[in-house]
Amino acid sequence: MAAPIALHLEFGGGAELLFGGVKDHQVTLPGQSQPWDMKQLLVWIRGNLLKERPELFVQGDTVRPGILVLINDADWELMGELSYELQDQDNVVFISTLHGG
Amino acid sequence: MPILCSSCGQKRAVLKRPKTGHSLCKECFFWAFEEEVHQTIVSAHLFNPGETVGIGASGGKDSTVLAHVLKVLNERYNYGLKLLLLSVDEGITGYRDDSLETVKRNQQQYELPLKIVSYEELYGWTMDAIVKQVGLKNNCTFCGVFRRQALDRGAMMLNVDKICTGHNADDVAETVLMNVLRGDIARLRRCTAISTASEGEGVVPRCKPLKYAYEKEIVLYAYFKKLDYFSTECIYSPNAYRGYARAFLKDLESVRPSAIMDVIHSGENLSVREGVRMPVQGNCTRCGYISSQALCKSCVLLEGLNRGLPRLGIGKHHRLHGKILAQEPLTQEEERKLKAIDF
Amino acid sequence: MCQVDEEYNEQLEKRTVPSVSQRCVKCKEGTAALIIRAGDAFCRGCFKDYFVHKFRAMLGKNRLIFPGERVLLAVSGGQASSSMLAQVQEGLSRNAPKKLRFTPGIIYIDEGGACGQSMEEREGVIAELETMFRATGYPFHIVHLEQVFDLPISVLEAVSSAPQRPEGSYKAAVEQFVQNARVKGSCSPGEGHMDPAVLDAQIQLSHLDTQDLANGTPPSSLQHQQDLERLFASVRTLTAKEDMLQTLRQHLIVHTARTKGYTKVMMGDSCSRLAVKLLSNISLGRGASLAVDTGFSDQRYGDVIIVRPMRDYSSKEIAFYNRMFGVPSIFIPGLDTKAPEKASIQHLTESFVTMLQADFPSTVSTIYRTSEKLHTARPPHSSEMETVAKCLLCLCALDTKEAEEASAFHATLVSERLSEKRVPESAQVGSASTADTVGQCCSSGVGQEGGCSSRGQGCCSSNLTPVTPDLKSLLCYSCRLTIKDMTGVESLPPYIVSEAERRHRRSQMKKEISEFLLDDEEDEVAAS
Repeated sequence: MAAPIALHLEFGGGAELLFGGVKDHQVTLPGQSQPWDMKQLLVWIRGNLLKERPELFVQGDTVRPGILVLINDADWELMGELSYELQDQDNVVFISTLHGG
Repeated sequence: MPILCSSCGQKRAVLKRPKTGHSLCKECFFWAFEEEVHQTIVSAHLFNPGETVGIGASGGKDSTVLAHVLKVLNERYNYGLKLLLLSVDEGITGYRDDSLETVKRNQQQYELPLKIVSYEELYGWTMDAIVKQVGLKNNCTFCGVFRRQALDRGAMMLNVDKICTGHNADDVAETVLMNVLRGDIARLRRCTAISTASEGEGVVPRCKPLKYAYEKEIVLYAYFKKLDYFSTECIYSPNAYRGYARAFLKDLESVRPSAIMDVIHSGENLSVREGVRMPVQGNCTRCGYISSQALCKSCVLLEGLNRGLPRLGIGKHHRLHGKILAQEPLTQEEERKLKAIDF
Repeated sequence: MCQVDEEYNEQLEKRTVPSVSQRCVKCKEGTAALIIRAGDAFCRGCFKDYFVHKFRAMLGKNRLIFPGERVLLAVSGGQASSSMLAQVQEGLSRNAPKKLRFTPGIIYIDEGGACGQSMEEREGVIAELETMFRATGYPFHIVHLEQVFDLPISVLEAVSSAPQRPEGSYKAAVEQFVQNARVKGSCSPGEGHMDPAVLDAQIQLSHLDTQDLANGTPPSSLQHQQDLERLFASVRTLTAKEDMLQTLRQHLIVHTARTKGYTKVMMGDSCSRLAVKLLSNISLGRGASLAVDTGFSDQRYGDVIIVRPMRDYSSKEIAFYNRMFGVPSIFIPGLDTKAPEKASIQHLTESFVTMLQADFPSTVSTIYRTSEKLHTARPPHSSEMETVAKCLLCLCALDTKEAEEASAFHATLVSERLSEKRVPESAQVGSASTADTVGQCCSSGVGQEGGCSSRGQGCCSSNLTPVTPDLKSLLCYSCRLTIKDMTGVESLPPYIVSEAERRHRRSQMKKEISEFLLDDEEDEVAAS
């Protein structure tokens, strides 16, 4: 049983509008038998943070194309994307690059 | 209260035209549809009196409607054309068998002569046999390239002056989008032309009289006229990338129905910057068919099939053309690269 | 029917599986921080150098902006234009190795009135932007979309451009500028070491139009707020609303540039944005003007040239740069924010390109490269500027006047005619003559009156409310579609309606006096 982990989540570029206009979120993920990965985090965000239009944030099991993800200020493409194992105190940023948000 | 026809104002309208938003009754729709094809033929000077015109007939809705409308207009306006149906038998069991039966019925219904040319007699290969060798991923490349030449060869056997095909507005618009997505500037420039010039030996001029007809209206025309057509898709998978362009175009049409014409208008008014290199068209040194390389695509594909190296025609292997022409064997390394069927 | 009739055989590059924790491809030492569009991993430092260099390289390569020239930066507050502003600051800063030498100003167009924002929201956004702009030290202009109702008719005239500078003059101007700067011992921007040619052009410009927006009615008068609301309410589709907004925004920017003495306008379109724009413009029937709409420079207004220096950056590069180097930007909701995918052609195209880009990473760059190979149908000749008929709204060359008979434009007119009430005998009339009537009757405003009345029942699209004055004949193919999506044109700003009337009067007058005029051709005939 892994301990709960605390994360700092940030939404920008218009993505924050789907989270009630709030950009910064300090969250704690409950402890579970498997370590948390990005794929599970997205499911958790969808269930716990998203306020509206989930399809504008997640599509399939990943983020909607056009939304960039940074883990600890580095491109998530360098970190294994969905399979990245989250660590306590990680900083995850979602930036929409879409014109209309 | 039913909606009345916006043209005659008397009968009940049966459809809303996507191109203009008007509602028409069956009779007025038939009239408008046929007149529009007539206007296209006249304004683009597609035919001359006395010409023999081969209609590329697949048994599908587009070519069936084309054959029907051309027959009607040829009589109504005294075009003075000798029309005939030209079919290609690719040799696809379960698909072509049935659609060729449809074409044969069309021959009876429209009283037009029919010529069927088969891949087997032209190339020595049926599509079924090709799929067996190359798998399902690139077979459409073979089929498309071979069909282009098959129609030409069939047309030459019958001394046909012009070939016309059932390409409709949706097909043309889709091709414009497709060429933008692929950055293919040479095709982007050519693809909206309603007819190909009659230059070069071994090539029969082609035209698309249904270029400005919406697919939706073609289907409705065939449906209301109770035309006999075959509506199954090819059993071998279609080109995936074209699928994206098609889906996008359908979405565009649902947002703004005139979008299909708007895309064609865009394509017709594009112009290419000077100094952008365009491939020079020449002729294939083996079969004489039009080609920008020493060997035409068809001959290269055929050579690949016959040598058991199907990848020869897929991708760029122009430097091997010399060896093929000289009938020289390839090196082991070259063969190894072309043999793997991992595409 | 089967579509495999052309040879498309090259395989598209599919997305590759990402590798974890690479080293920077450039310095081979730093830890990679992001993957840019070529699939290369860059570390923070190398990414910054690459990003900064690209901006100057783009301006250097195109040699359009002369030393001392006044350049208006169009900043929307979004990521790309904010990043552009940061690059200009970087390039003008004293210690930059390859210094930029123009004099910048900033313009922000407040579109809140068209996008349903409250007055408080708008004021909040403006306050935030003002802080951002003030920090740069550059002059800035906040213009409200409502101000289109005060625009003068002259906005819609393309002014013939300043005489072409001879080849090599760019280099000479740069040398001159550097020398002047050395003499004065300072080269801070804004001091106006003007190239004489630029100075001349600007003096001319300041006389061009004396009506200054700032001196007119207060920008957001209640009257104009209602005018703007009425205008956007009269546009039935989001596609047309977005197009209208783009047109009006452009008019305000060009007018501000002219009246404030700027000769260049910089727009922050990224290559991702331009790829979407190119594809949506094709879908909107704007194929003829793709080159001016998406190229590096856009000379349609003649005296004020639009340039797009951010066109080599992907939106990903921009977002990463802004994030890593603290470039401020604000997201301002627009017309299509949170809209469903199929809300408009522009929105649908963006979703489509972004989706395709996720599967095929070369999508955006391929579409973008297509734009480089295109050219306007009729390249603008500065001397013939006056004679080429231009669209009333977008000022692009008309693509509807001399349309060939075998064209999509003509085919649609034929379809319209055939779908409307037909006079029995018209069916028997020969094709050539009917085609002629259609072309004249429906596309030329002047011929319309006579053409329609003589034929009795309306041959000009009766399903549309008759528009007064007739704008259709003055518009390009695509702008016609936009106007067609409006319930009426009465709510358009006065400068558009007045200019339409002026053009109609002119062509009417031309027609009336034409029989008394001997044109060149007749002169020649008479002489021979």
